[in-house]
Amino acid sequence: MTAHPYLQLIDIDQYFGQFQALKKVSLSINEGEFVCFLGPSGCGKTTLLRVIAGLDSLCSGQILQAGRDITYAPVNKRDFGIVFQSYALFPNLSVADNIGYGLKSRRVSRQNKTARIRELLSVVGLERSEQKYPSQLSGGQQQRVALARALATSPGLLLLDEPLSALDARVRAHLRHEIKQLQEKLGVTTIMVTHDQEEALTMADRIVVMNHGLIEQIGTPEEIYCQPQSAFVADFVGEMNFLDGFLCNDSQVQSQSIRLDVSQTGSFSIDSPLRVAVRPEDIRLRLNGDRHNVLNGTVLDLEFLGSKARSRVAVKGHDQILIADISMNELTELELRNGQNVDIQLPRDRLQLFGKAAS
Amino acid sequence: MNISLVAKGQPEQMHRHHLLSRRSPDEWALGGILLIGIAALTVAVVAPLYTLLSKSVQDHDGNFVGLDNFATYVSTPSLVSSISHSLTVALLSTLIVTTLAFCAAYAITRTRLPGKGLFRTILVLPILAPSLLPAISLVYLFGNQGILKEMLMGESIYGPIGIVIGSCFWTFPHALMILLTALANSDARLYESAKVLGASPFRTFLTVTLPSVKYGLISTAFVVFTLVITDFGVPKVIGGQFNVLATDIYKQVIGQQNFEMGAAVSVILLLPALLTFIADRWVQRRQSAMLTSKAVPWTPEKRPLADNLFTGILLLLSIIILGMIGMAIYASLVTFWPYNLNLTFKNYQFDLMDGGGWEAYWNSIRMATYTALFGTFFIFFNAYLVEKLKGFGIAKFLFHLMAILPLAVPGLVLGLAYIFYFNSPSNPLNGIYGTMVILVICTISHFYTVCHLTAVTALKQIDPEFESVSASLKVPQFVTFWRVSLPVCLPAVLEIGIYLFVNAMTTVSAVIFLYSYNTMLASVAVLNMDDAGDIAPAAAMAVMIMLTCVVAKLVHWVISTILLQKTQRWRTRVTEGATS
Repeated sequence: MTAHPYLQLIDIDQYFGQFQALKKVSLSINEGEFVCFLGPSGCGKTTLLRVIAGLDSLCSGQILQAGRDITYAPVNKRDFGIVFQSYALFPNLSVADNIGYGLKSRRVSRQNKTARIRELLSVVGLERSEQKYPSQLSGGQQQRVALARALATSPGLLLLDEPLSALDARVRAHLRHEIKQLQEKLGVTTIMVTHDQEEALTMADRIVVMNHGLIEQIGTPEEIYCQPQSAFVADFVGEMNFLDGFLCNDSQVQSQSIRLDVSQTGSFSIDSPLRVAVRPEDIRLRLNGDRHNVLNGTVLDLEFLGSKARSRVAVKGHDQILIADISMNELTELELRNGQNVDIQLPRDRLQLFGKAAS
Repeated sequence: MNISLVAKGQPEQMHRHHLLSRRSPDEWALGGILLIGIAALTVAVVAPLYTLLSKSVQDHDGNFVGLDNFATYVSTPSLVSSISHSLTVALLSTLIVTTLAFCAAYAITRTRLPGKGLFRTILVLPILAPSLLPAISLVYLFGNQGILKEMLMGESIYGPIGIVIGSCFWTFPHALMILLTALANSDARLYESAKVLGASPFRTFLTVTLPSVKYGLISTAFVVFTLVITDFGVPKVIGGQFNVLATDIYKQVIGQQNFEMGAAVSVILLLPALLTFIADRWVQRRQSAMLTSKAVPWTPEKRPLADNLFTGILLLLSIIILGMIGMAIYASLVTFWPYNLNLTFKNYQFDLMDGGGWEAYWNSIRMATYTALFGTFFIFFNAYLVEKLKGFGIAKFLFHLMAILPLAVPGLVLGLAYIFYFNSPSNPLNGIYGTMVILVICTISHFYTVCHLTAVTALKQIDPEFESVSASLKVPQFVTFWRVSLPVCLPAVLEIGIYLFVNAMTTVSAVIFLYSYNTMLASVAVLNMDDAGDIAPAAAMAVMIMLTCVVAKLVHWVISTILLQKTQRWRTRVTEGATS
């Protein structure tokens, strides 16, 4: 990946009346990169996308695209293609006319136009659908037509606003893969807005996690999942158990009547309140010789999730119920049942500490 | 101004510098058109009404006299009785029409009668006739020489009885259409739940059906009340000595040339209409939240007893409506009622009598055509801008407000306001007074709101991102309007066109003050001929108006059908679309 910034957002502020939707958002996106804006609804991710597209004018800040200041450029003076959640396909125009809609105004000859439409249709795998109307296509096919229409004018930037959320699970998984491949093939810089963490984790080169108009963290999917920088990110991406407590010495945390070893204490000082976080899959139910951080508890219930099972464990000396995931194999070997007394381990190198205020 | 929200520390100048380039030339042009639209509505609606309001607090010489005109009005017993007359007639008609229209709408939507389509067509027929037509029929049926005069048992049709019957006749279709829509929106799941829970049919009616049409009923009552209280044609023809507010205005202005008093009565008439308007807006807001998109349409089951009962009601209503229309047609063909009943077309030789002749008829056709053409174009395009143009928030809000306002203004009031405003020598537009132009402008303004709301509703149903997509593809917005928005909304556009045409043909109230010798209209001719005692020719002209509207409706139907067939391929919705 070349580290050449293609799109730069500098200190973007956006207000809707008194409500501040974006707070000093700064971000730099490299050429050819696939970036996901991820966050709960109302976090400002769609607002940010609309600001980049020029659909909403921003209150302050600066946007540079390929070195050009586009902060106040009208939509039609910017270089991007966009796919909306609703696809916004023109219902009265055929697939070919929809895809060729943007080619008309660019003085493209008829032959070139037809050829371009053919090419795009084959790129998205919809050959021989030129004369169909959007209502005659399935949702997944409509989505592809919208993608082809956005790509028709070879924009430098592709914006996707929750493009998969209107589709059912199977089609979604399939298209996820296809869009990613297409993006890699064309090398077009892409920003996708999504609230679906799985989508973001599987598709993005980098993820921008947003909350309350702020960027919480920018990083690769691995970084976001394994080294979340805030309790919000840890909680929003994947599952997480949180135990409130405080640092009682330089290697231990006290949470109610439980004392846990931690491997690093970060910037926390003794007695400062904090939250210990551990992912359900990191909690061990089958113990080896090393018996640090072992807690005794009772299995409250077991939930079957297909390839794995999720157990809820009430731990002695703590009122927080912990969630632990184990594989089906382990489940069979351990012969786990509801009400069973178990020992569980919270490995110290898997514990993460977060400040208490942040959440 | 949205730039006032610039964060601290950012120099204001920098933003001002970018202000012009923030929008494309395309958007500026469309914004300019919207501003022209605002100016047009200001001239056509707001300014005349303002002049009317100020006239109502002035004396004959233009001096400010406060509420003197109103005081005079209230202290004149013969005039003030009109208020109670108007209220009585309007309330009574509202009660009758709402009840009957509910029965009819229920029969059409919630039973399994044969020939519902035919009944429906017959029941909405009165909307195609001027409100004068039922009044004339009533004269022939129950007048001094009426064929059914004995049925009144000595009471006179000239007065409240005639006004109520005539008003019920012409407002019935309006009520029926609102209630048909309200009742059509049924959710089968509620009925199934009621059944499963063991509710009796009557209890289901009370707990499911009635609540779901509650707002429709309220809305109907308000609409009928306003229509009746502001109507002028029926009381003029059949009211006799029974004065109501609407005829008072006419008498003050046309009879006594007392414009200031006319203005004062207009303001009084404006009050109930305004109240109704506010209540209706409130109801509309409530109603929209009632139905969820997941509702499953309900199919009525066979209930022999109820079905027979409702067939009877529909038959009776149809007979009354056809009878009234038939009476007018028959009367127009009779040589000399009631002495010579031979059929003749003599009464259709309008050129041989006073009242404007065939010229008036052709004027009406021209007026209705212009109204439909220019009105539809102006209304739809501006509604498009209000809905789909980016930015210009204040302008769009202002326009929408002005577009809603005419609904609260009775035609008679608007017509009088036009006299005050356009007839003033200081008005540069004075030249249009007495021409076809003022008639067209006044008619478009009078019927503006319903058309605007129809357009807005249709535009709201299309994807809000069409404009964003085309901007991102660098296609000018008017191209997208032409290639996408307009074709998609064509049924609504045609609907607006036919609505304007039919109303322009049948309206009397607004134009009665504005026609001149050269621009006599058919509907006004009906009134004038009736006034002059030429009742049979008046009936003939009313029939001509109705026939024209029927033909226009048929043409509209044919065009719509062809259009729907041609565009069927893309208009059909694929149900799997959203999910697979």
